Amino acid sequence: MSNEYAILRVRVTAKDADTLRALLRDTRPDVGGRIGQDEDGSLSFDAYVSPEKAQALPREGVTVTTLDYDATATGRARQAEVGQGDQFAPADAVPQGLALKVKDSKGAKDA
Amino acid sequence: MSYLNIVEVESAVASLATAFPHTCELIDLPERSFEGRAAHALRIGTAEPGVNDAVVLIGGAHAREWGSCEILVNLAADLLHAHSGGTGLTYGGTSFTSAQVHGILDGLDVVVFPLVNPDGRHYSQTVDPMWRRNRNPAQSGGHPEAVGVDINRNYDHLFDFETAFHPNAPVRVSADPADPDQVYQGPSAFSEPETRNVRWLLDEFPRTRWFVDVHSYTQDMLYVWGDDNNQSVDPTRNFRNPAFDGKRGLKQDLLYAEFVPKTDTDDSAVLAEQFCKALRGVRGKNYTPQPAFDLYPTCGTSDDYAYARHIVDPQKGKILAFTVEWGKSFHPPWAEMEKIVLDVDAGLVQFCLTAGT
Ligand SMILES: [Zn+2]
Repeated sequence: MSNEYAILRVRVTAKDADTLRALLRDTRPDVGGRIGQDEDGSLSFDAYVSPEKAQALPREGVTVTTLDYDATATGRARQAEVGQGDQFAPADAVPQGLALKVKDSKGAKDA
Repeated sequence: MSYLNIVEVESAVASLATAFPHTCELIDLPERSFEGRAAHALRIGTAEPGVNDAVVLIGGAHAREWGSCEILVNLAADLLHAHSGGTGLTYGGTSFTSAQVHGILDGLDVVVFPLVNPDGRHYSQTVDPMWRRNRNPAQSGGHPEAVGVDINRNYDHLFDFETAFHPNAPVRVSADPADPDQVYQGPSAFSEPETRNVRWLLDEFPRTRWFVDVHSYTQDMLYVWGDDNNQSVDPTRNFRNPAFDGKRGLKQDLLYAEFVPKTDTDDSAVLAEQFCKALRGVRGKNYTPQPAFDLYPTCGTSDDYAYARHIVDPQKGKILAFTVEWGKSFHPPWAEMEKIVLDVDAGLVQFCLTAGT
């Protein structure tokens, strides 16, 4: 995967399974998530592709919608949300978990 | 709070083991990554190891699916704090009593391995956010785009996909290290230290009866099989039968469907449904419980491998195996990821509860 240019996040929709199979075989896009089926029988999935590849995807029975024109930049913004250093280095620092720790109510105990 | 870097995942795991010595044991995985990183898991439970059946939960195999590690670290922390504090757990609209938390720790070994692929996560968090594989350059021929193996295609299940599948089946795997879909399977099954660590964990806990691999995305709770549709009628149609080589992996066909006893499908469906129900209770998110196979067959995945172990070797115990696909993107803003952690952890606590009873 190259970093020389932006990677797009696109939604690819194919009118039926045969069209989708052929598309996947021919183009081998980097697929994100699973393939979803819409009510009209069409199939869609997300892909992460270069602008050149995005232009090569549309064909008979296939539509391509760009969801994010620079998924790499979005990913880099998320990298800024990754911790620096080690928040658990102090001897008394322990992950707390995100759930609320609640004493049982009487009702809960009886349930 | 923010996404955990790889040092923090490791130190989170170690600090939990130190803080809860009576309910938690640090497990040193035997293999180091290509870049030399050690990996650790936790065994959570009040009994001696081997007394209870085990649930094995792994995450972080795919580098860019960052939140999987946070889901598992926080699950471990929730269970341990609630157990020691005598409290229940509340995830939005889904709650568990202190007795339920005690029931899980007293009745099961909950084995949590949050970061299977540390090299890949580090690369994704610091260089290429879209990186999926590990960072093993052995098959790359010096080409940067050909570095790395897809860990979740490197397990020993239908690894020889060109023989096993129908020529028209769009199998989501590749024998090409530079495959742009990042699904290079590696030169052989279990060629990678990361997959060997997971196999070791299943061997180390022979009473493992449930396995969950945490991935993203699409909001699904998947169970076996991934290579073709399920059927419970004809046991001869199975992944070991060479008579069906070249016939697997098509969706709308009568050529092949993978055998699984009805009781196993039913038990798996119940666990997946219970997971989704508890998850939905948190804030209304709908995850779909379903078999893993869709238009896109897979091979060499952890869930199919884990379930198939008892078929390949009758000495091994049966493991019902699952893959969570959380969320709708690989790295949502942390504020959203925190909510997804609550969603999925509520599902996983319920999963353990259902499994243990
Ligand atoms: Zn994944």
